[in-house]
Amino acid sequence: MKKRGLADLFFLLLVGYLILPVLATMLYAFASKWNKTILPEGLTLKWLSTLFQDTEFIQAFGRSVFLAGGAVSIALLIIVPAIFVIVLYFPKYEKWIQMAVVMVYSFPGIILAVGLIRVYSQIGIPMIFVVLGAYVVGILPYIYQGTRNSLRNIDARQLLDAAQLLGASKRQAFTKILLPTVYPGLFAGALLSFSVLFGEFVLINLVVGSRFETVQIYLMKKLSTSGHIASAVVFIYIVLMGLLTFVIAIVTKRSKGATNL
Amino acid sequence: MSYLVIEGLHKNYGQSTVLSNINMEIEKGEFITLLGPSGCGKSTILRIVAGLTDASAGKIAIEGKDMCGVQPKDRQVGMVFQSYALFPNMTVQENVAFGLRMQKVHSVDLEQRVQEMLALVHLSEKAHAYPKELSGGQQQRVALARALIVRPKVLLLDEPLSALDAQIRKKLQTDLRAIQRKLSMTMILVTHDQEEAMAVSDRIFVMNNGSIAQSGTPTEIYTRPENEFIANFIGHYNVFMRQDLEQMLGEPLSEQYSKFAIRPEALHFDKKNNDMCLTGKAKQSLMSGNIIRTTFEGETLFTMEQLHQQGYSIEMGKTYKCYVAKEDVIALS
Repeated sequence: MKKRGLADLFFLLLVGYLILPVLATMLYAFASKWNKTILPEGLTLKWLSTLFQDTEFIQAFGRSVFLAGGAVSIALLIIVPAIFVIVLYFPKYEKWIQMAVVMVYSFPGIILAVGLIRVYSQIGIPMIFVVLGAYVVGILPYIYQGTRNSLRNIDARQLLDAAQLLGASKRQAFTKILLPTVYPGLFAGALLSFSVLFGEFVLINLVVGSRFETVQIYLMKKLSTSGHIASAVVFIYIVLMGLLTFVIAIVTKRSKGATNL
Repeated sequence: MSYLVIEGLHKNYGQSTVLSNINMEIEKGEFITLLGPSGCGKSTILRIVAGLTDASAGKIAIEGKDMCGVQPKDRQVGMVFQSYALFPNMTVQENVAFGLRMQKVHSVDLEQRVQEMLALVHLSEKAHAYPKELSGGQQQRVALARALIVRPKVLLLDEPLSALDAQIRKKLQTDLRAIQRKLSMTMILVTHDQEEAMAVSDRIFVMNNGSIAQSGTPTEIYTRPENEFIANFIGHYNVFMRQDLEQMLGEPLSEQYSKFAIRPEALHFDKKNNDMCLTGKAKQSLMSGNIIRTTFEGETLFTMEQLHQQGYSIEMGKTYKCYVAKEDVIALS
């Protein structure tokens, strides 16, 4: 009993350590005044309302969605078919993808940013497209793992063979059988990638900076002017991430028969 | 001309030869089995017939039409896979209907044919279940229904029962044979289980190392093995070197052959006219269902099989005389 009690205490301490800062930040977004008291002196929706009336924030939010969504869409269009072809028809080349996945992790943001600026700034390509391209490569691990794990749970090659023997073309076999089967894993990977890119700050700040203000850069700016507004931005970010996580959980749980991440 | 003709089929992967000069002629409505150990090339033949793998050389013709260059989807060949390969995103009904949807069959006709097929494989009540909600035997019946519904000219069965437990396997063997007879469909089964092959086939092609070692009816294959590989693979044959057997029998055998085989159940204790005699000391007795399998030690070890009701109680360590009819001593090439 004593051991159990001690374990519970440590667990609560850990949960408190992780949750309290988040709760405090979220509470600060609704606090009218919170300077000398343990809890806020009053609650208000003023900061959230101010935020949603600020066109700068709305534009920054839109840019973040555009950038993250664009990178994920390009990755789905390019990387996913490539992974399918390699896994199904040229498995010996899979080691190269795995190597690329590891390399993505091995580049610190600052080095990547300096490298991108040095290579691409003189060529004349708008740097925002360079960041977009870097984002597409950056989410390779999430998209690859999502797709590969889904394919690992099924004998994809045999499903394709079975569909073709029943009169389906290769394209029909892919769209009617394989894609719906791996869809939950793929969707979860895409949402995960979106949430990672939506919160990305280092690369966009160093390569483009305020020329393309995303939510993260907007947040950085607001930190020096209003803690309440900054907390409201964080609150919206957390709610968005919570929603994405909820959708991932629902999709991976609901899809009968299909394989999960 | 036969319904399905395989002529001079070869398959190489790099330097290694997987199939070597395979020739088969199969009639319409025949149930053929390719029997052999793992890796002997039997599944490769099925994949080549289906068009899923290209042959290095040779020809395949169905109903006289050369299949060279014909896409799998246009061959009218069905296949049931060992791992079932059911579409996990579709219900049983949708799986079975898939082939008809690809053929753009009218929905009324499609509905009727799916219901008939589900009834044939006794799965009507599972129509709306997903594959992962079914047992192995049920999944295999869905796979069979899905392949049969498009009325293929030839149905290929790639070890479809090997993942199932013995009881369900036996039941499905009977069902499979009954369905094949009912639909008069040409089927080619791949298996490494000789009992399964014997139970369902009109003819068996026994394969070894990428070529056909012997072909014939189950009775021909079982009672007249042509070589040591068949004798060992097809049953529990006693295979003797000629000199050993001559010493044990005490009479000369044809010098044309170096090895001879005797079926364990062809040995008995009661002497009949012209029987040959093997003498050996009883070493070990094992019960296998309704069969008692006893090992004797003579010049070499040999095994005898008896049914329980034959009532012979064999004492271990005692020497016995076992008799065999002359025609049951089979010369191996």
